[in-house]
Amino acid sequence: MILSAKDLKKTYIDSDQRIEVLTGACLDVAAGDLICITGKSGSGKSTMLHIMGLLDAPDSGELIMEGKKIEAKSPKAPTIRNRDLGFVFQFHYLVEDLTATENVALPLLIAGQSEAKAMARAKELLCILGLSERLKRYPNQLSGGEQQRVSLARALANRPKLVLADEPTGNLDPVHSKEVWDMILSLNKGEFRQTFVIVTHDVEAAQAADRVFELVNGILIPA
Amino acid sequence: MDKLELFFFKRYLKAPKRNFFRFTFVFMVMGIVLSVGILSAGLNLFQGYESNLKSLLLDSFAHISIQSSYGELISEDELATIQKRLAKRGEIVSAIPSMEHPLMAQKGDKIRAITLRAYDFSQEFPYQKYIQDAKGELQSGEVIVGHYLAEELGLGIGDSIELNYPRFDRITPLGIHTAQNKYKIADLYRSGYYESDRSLVISTLKDARALLFLPEGYSRIELRLKDADKAGSFARAYSEVLGHDYIAIPWNLYAESLLRLVAMEKWLIFIVFSFLVLIAGINVISAVSTIIIDKRSEIAVLKSLGASPRSIKRLFAFRVGTVAILSVLIGQAFGALLSWFVEKQSFYSLKGDVYFIDTLGAKITFPNLTVVFLVASFLIFLCVMLPLRQIEKMQIIELIRHKR
Ligand SMILES: Nc1ncnc2c1ncn2[C@@H]1O[C@H](COP(=O)(O)OP(=O)(O)OP(=O)(O)O)[C@@H](O)[C@H]1O
Ligand SMILES: [Mg+2]
Repeated sequence: MILSAKDLKKTYIDSDQRIEVLTGACLDVAAGDLICITGKSGSGKSTMLHIMGLLDAPDSGELIMEGKKIEAKSPKAPTIRNRDLGFVFQFHYLVEDLTATENVALPLLIAGQSEAKAMARAKELLCILGLSERLKRYPNQLSGGEQQRVSLARALANRPKLVLADEPTGNLDPVHSKEVWDMILSLNKGEFRQTFVIVTHDVEAAQAADRVFELVNGILIPA
Repeated sequence: MDKLELFFFKRYLKAPKRNFFRFTFVFMVMGIVLSVGILSAGLNLFQGYESNLKSLLLDSFAHISIQSSYGELISEDELATIQKRLAKRGEIVSAIPSMEHPLMAQKGDKIRAITLRAYDFSQEFPYQKYIQDAKGELQSGEVIVGHYLAEELGLGIGDSIELNYPRFDRITPLGIHTAQNKYKIADLYRSGYYESDRSLVISTLKDARALLFLPEGYSRIELRLKDADKAGSFARAYSEVLGHDYIAIPWNLYAESLLRLVAMEKWLIFIVFSFLVLIAGINVISAVSTIIIDKRSEIAVLKSLGASPRSIKRLFAFRVGTVAILSVLIGQAFGALLSWFVEKQSFYSLKGDVYFIDTLGAKITFPNLTVVFLVASFLIFLCVMLPLRQIEKMQIIELIRHKR
């Protein structure tokens, strides 16, 4: 297993009100998987993904990555986020002052690679994702789909074991949405065999996935 | 700087307009430039005052004065011996024998206490550069008078001045016998050192001796050194060489406490003005806080990609720091301009009776520039780092959720 989420629980307390978002969610992700998580708005999909991406800590439960327990609060978490996990946010979160290539180079630079190497790898990735014409554009000069593909390239930069994507097509029109989905599918099925866990509203698109789960009452049930 | 920091810094330098010249920085830059400008100008002017005062003191007085230990006059023979003994001392520029005596000067019913100094004008006269007209050798019957003294007595060049010598050793039934003589004012003495300008009268040795009923001889020998700062140690050496019939008195015996006071005031002003920089620092704090809030999604992204808070903090520190350091340098240039302007202006001049000298002058020295730069940069640095601590506390998850 690349990543196992065991019995994750998360409760928010919002002005005297307890919101039990996760009540014991479990998920096993194997190499090469393409897993989709669906669910109603507010059901806790993002929360689940943030916890799996070490961006947030659960109240209880644990995460095991290739046999080792990992925690968001441990000092190793930044390194794991940098090397082993890739995250695509619902909103693109590209750095506005940097070009597409420079954005993709960021995880590589943080990992300590030289600028030349990082930029070369970033260009390569953007070309694979069909953005060879957009290398020097700034985020505000790119369409939503293009921005999301740049985010995807950035998530892939350090060849992570697992890419977590939170509604990567949530803000896109059907045409751009399909563009991104096709990309994800080809990365998963093609030579990369990239493992994905994707949160989506798009039930139709989710059909392409190997496994689909629905988040209901704080647990994941196979759909 | 690690790879990421270097990468960002290079991007900032490549697009300075986008990254450095931002509206957020305007008030910060203005505050730094103004406060550093005033700080440097203050220091420059005080430094100018200090060095003007010192150089005037050094020019108006002997660096070392050799006198008889018993208050007697130094005869021609003794002068010759002393000169011979000090002949091999390379540090001595000149050794000029002179007379000095306190007297009264009078014009009508105005009386002033003065110091009479007499020189042999056929030899070297050390104050030539302070003489207004410099018409050549002073003749018998003529005197040079400090210009403030002349003003106070209502006298000018060509007028006559009366010098009185009350002789307490000759009390007659009619009262204290007073020797008096009239002299023609041949020239005015204008050094800029207030005390001399309002009390000095210079005459020939012959006239002075006649007025004071003194035989041949000198009250002292004025030594001038290549390096006046070493007067203290040389004076000690000369006292030893000359034996205990004579004492060698260095200039700083009198002036040191004054100069120390001035130097202390200078640093006091510096400390007070440094607080201005700290006030400018408040703008820096607010500018940095604004950028952090502005860039919180960027901070979230970098954190989520595994960048350390330390590294992110430094990114911001380099960015704001570059602008701040530039502002400090501009502020120093502004300060130089400001002090130059104060020096050149003529609306305001110092009161000589309060400040000893009456001209304002600025002096820019390399150590002072360095001190201002270091102190200002350090204070600004603190103000940059203070708000950056927030970055450590910021939780990625809150930043990411915030945008929704
Ligand atoms: N910091 C918080 N404090 C209180 N409640 C929170 C907090 N963060 C999330 N929640 C609540 O937790 C629940 C789950 O949120 P989450 O963002 O995981 O839902 P989601 O399934 O991703 O929804 P969507 O499909 O709209 O993105 C929501 O009801 C949300 O209001
Ligand atoms: Mg969500």
